[in-house]
Amino acid sequence: MTVDKGNKLARVSLDNGSGEKLATDPKLDSGSQKRIGDQLRAMYDELMQQPVPDRFRDLLDQLDKNGRKGGSQ
Amino acid sequence: MTLEPEPELREALLAAVPSLRAFAISLSGQVDRADDLVQDTLLRALSNLHRFEPGTNLNAWLFTILRNLFHSEYRKRRREVEDPDGSYAGRLKVQPEQGAHLDFEDFRSALSQLPSDQREALLLVGASGFSYEEAANICGCAVGTIKSRVNRARLRLASLLNVNDIEDLGPDSMTRAALQG
Repeated sequence: MTVDKGNKLARVSLDNGSGEKLATDPKLDSGSQKRIGDQLRAMYDELMQQPVPDRFRDLLDQLDKNGRKGGSQ
Repeated sequence: MTLEPEPELREALLAAVPSLRAFAISLSGQVDRADDLVQDTLLRALSNLHRFEPGTNLNAWLFTILRNLFHSEYRKRRREVEDPDGSYAGRLKVQPEQGAHLDFEDFRSALSQLPSDQREALLLVGASGFSYEEAANICGCAVGTIKSRVNRARLRLASLLNVNDIEDLGPDSMTRAALQG
């Protein structure tokens, strides 16, 4: 139960969770759809631009070394 | 044809890390957990390289691995701790450190309130740049299912964020309008 923010959420949570409701889902108008899309991409771009943590570079460097001994061409 | 994995593969995997992280963070709501997921994804990919078909989309393959790891871990956790959806939503909300913008905070909070199947569909199609077909492959479901999930995700976000004018009638939105106006 996520009833933390007034009746708006309560109403929305009716179609939450459970299975695919294949009935006629309404479509969002294109303006709203664009605004949602823009915000989503802006949030995502910010995450994409974070520097790659060293642990991944280190991990792949290490595998590079290990992989070499077995991978004779 | 000999496979020469090391240099190109390393670069390709490294190049995939930012988008894998963005997906994992948005999916899980936690940076630490997301990084663990990405690391496990890379390790699993490397130990299953023979299954990757050269010429196909490496990113899609990696996303598939990450998504499967996320879901199996989620199921495991769910068994360990009683973990109703609400606690997940709460976590996303208290993660402001990697996005100072208030807009994003609102957006993240709304995103966290989506059912996870809708959230992942929207992230794959709307943010990660996959086609509906690719997203369907990644999630192991029908294209129509992905389309429907994306559509419902958008509708819910619109209503949670008061983007949709038609639904914009509650007291919440009036307060908000007053604050903005």
